[in-house]
Amino acid sequence: MHKAKQESTHLTMFILGGVVLYFLSGMVDELRVYQGATIAVYVIAISSIILLTGYSGQVSLGHGALMAVGAYAAAVLRIEFNLPIILCFVVAVLAAAIGGALLGAAAARLSGPYLAGTTLALAIGLPSLANQFEVLGGEQGLLFDVGFPPLALGEEFTQYKWFFWIAALAALISMWVVRNLLNSAYGRAWKAGRGNEVAAQLTGINTARSKVLAFTISAGIAGLAGALLAMTIGTVSPSAFPLSLSFAVLTGAVLAGITTLGGVILGAVVLVIIPELADVIAHRLGAAESVTINLPGLIVSGLLILTVLFVPNGPVEQHRARKAKHSALLGGTHKKMQ
Amino acid sequence: MQLLNTLLIGVTAGSIYALMAIAFVLVWRSTRVINFAQAGMALLSTYFGYEAVSRIGSFWVALPVAMIGGALFAALVELILMRLLVKHASSGPIAGVAPIIATLGLLGVIRSVISMIWGGQDLRIVAPISNDGFTINGSTLVFSPLKLLVLVVVAVLLLLLTILFQKTNLGLALRASAHAPEIARLSGVKVDSVRTLGWALAGAAGAVAGLFQTVNGNGNFSPDSIEFSLLLVSGFIAAVIGGLDSLLGAVIGGLFLGITISFVLMYVSSGLFFIAPFIILLLVLFIRPQGIIGVKAGRRA
Repeated sequence: MHKAKQESTHLTMFILGGVVLYFLSGMVDELRVYQGATIAVYVIAISSIILLTGYSGQVSLGHGALMAVGAYAAAVLRIEFNLPIILCFVVAVLAAAIGGALLGAAAARLSGPYLAGTTLALAIGLPSLANQFEVLGGEQGLLFDVGFPPLALGEEFTQYKWFFWIAALAALISMWVVRNLLNSAYGRAWKAGRGNEVAAQLTGINTARSKVLAFTISAGIAGLAGALLAMTIGTVSPSAFPLSLSFAVLTGAVLAGITTLGGVILGAVVLVIIPELADVIAHRLGAAESVTINLPGLIVSGLLILTVLFVPNGPVEQHRARKAKHSALLGGTHKKMQ
Repeated sequence: MQLLNTLLIGVTAGSIYALMAIAFVLVWRSTRVINFAQAGMALLSTYFGYEAVSRIGSFWVALPVAMIGGALFAALVELILMRLLVKHASSGPIAGVAPIIATLGLLGVIRSVISMIWGGQDLRIVAPISNDGFTINGSTLVFSPLKLLVLVVVAVLLLLLTILFQKTNLGLALRASAHAPEIARLSGVKVDSVRTLGWALAGAAGAVAGLFQTVNGNGNFSPDSIEFSLLLVSGFIAAVIGGLDSLLGAVIGGLFLGITISFVLMYVSSGLFFIAPFIILLLVLFIRPQGIIGVKAGRRA
């Protein structure tokens, strides 16, 4: 009963959010619309990390590479067969999911730092493969053109707005899928395996299979984010998927609170806002150019360390826990809420 | 001749990977953490070395300066970051991934600060001796005086480390703290200080790896050098091949990796430069997950 009520509030919130976004995207300038699209892409990528690391307890430093797999798959199909854009995105998900399943099969035997190192090696190695096959376009990469917005949306409707709507819709759908997965038996199995693998096995969970599944799904979502990122940039090239992209997505997930989906938008917004904020700060201080360029990286990395040390579950979860504790005390019960 | 060349290139590169792997192993043994900032620290030490070279003009001064700078910085990281980490993030749902994320954050901080101080452009350290190949019977080897120097210095450092670990009381304390910290503490070993020392030694080893990786390449380096990402990955893989817990294993792992990559690039395809380490790592993990020397049954950390 309580749960059904919660579900419907979320649905209303999604719709309300969509309406607000619709009017906002008409009011703000092009740059903001573009940033909105980037935020939507990050939301998708971060939710894939939350599923993988926060729930199933596996660290991936190679999600940038999986995003590249999705982006290249979409771009190649678009160029070679001129498939409709929606099909390109579906294929991006499938291609990255297959890559994730292979990687996950290896990953299920590894844990902690071994998995992190392996995925790191992948993140450095995979983009360079683009230079090996002519169909992938080498260093220059491939064009990825999703086409003009449909005329039915009116002549005022700009290209960036079109990007934003595609990305925002994809983000809403993936959030909905991930949320339901995390609340399902799969999500509970992932959490159980993360907490205590042996105990989870004793309750009948096949933890190895469960881990591979988490990797596969997470990779598929990352593939979608990669294809969307390529859409906003307009091209797919090795340099669009550097190691720093993998780190940025992981950072966003940690800042959002890696064990909950609740802060995912916060994480994505922070990733987009910090460069602007840093720019303002640096100009205010009259800092040198080398400082201005590198201030965002410093702030993001510093925040990453501070979050891990002091709010490991993320600000959103921290706030919720504190509120729950507070209301439990007010309610007169002295039972400790966990 | 080509075979010999390939082997010699592999051994030189491998000895640099071995140094980096030793840095990983020293940190792993002292705090059970894989330090993903190790390459960032090596890069920072290389900048220390660069400052020494440009002021005093001698590579032979730069090497110890980089080593001492790297050691001090690593000790500082252990004293501040690692101790905070143990205090605040050793329980809870993300305790397992917290050290990984914290060292990645550190990597980001180091790179940003380096770029702020020295800028993003390429800097250059000139090798102290020639990197032109030796000539034997009229044909020129790829193996050069510089590469010979790298091998000799790495061998000397390994010898010193072995003496430290096997023949001194300090080495006994280092080994005891790694294998049985509680018993070591009961026997009067200051385990915390020994941990810091382990990090410092790792910082020094990484500094040499960073300097040699730079001069063994084209001498150029920058905060975004792909060379240092490769050094991170290669050192990690070499350490994993060696079983993560053994210094000897790290050396064998480094040489194995260097020689294998060198042969793959020569006889399969030079385009596999970046992906070859990943494939080798996967093969090692599938065929012999405990590493060459490791004795543990699984790769659980």
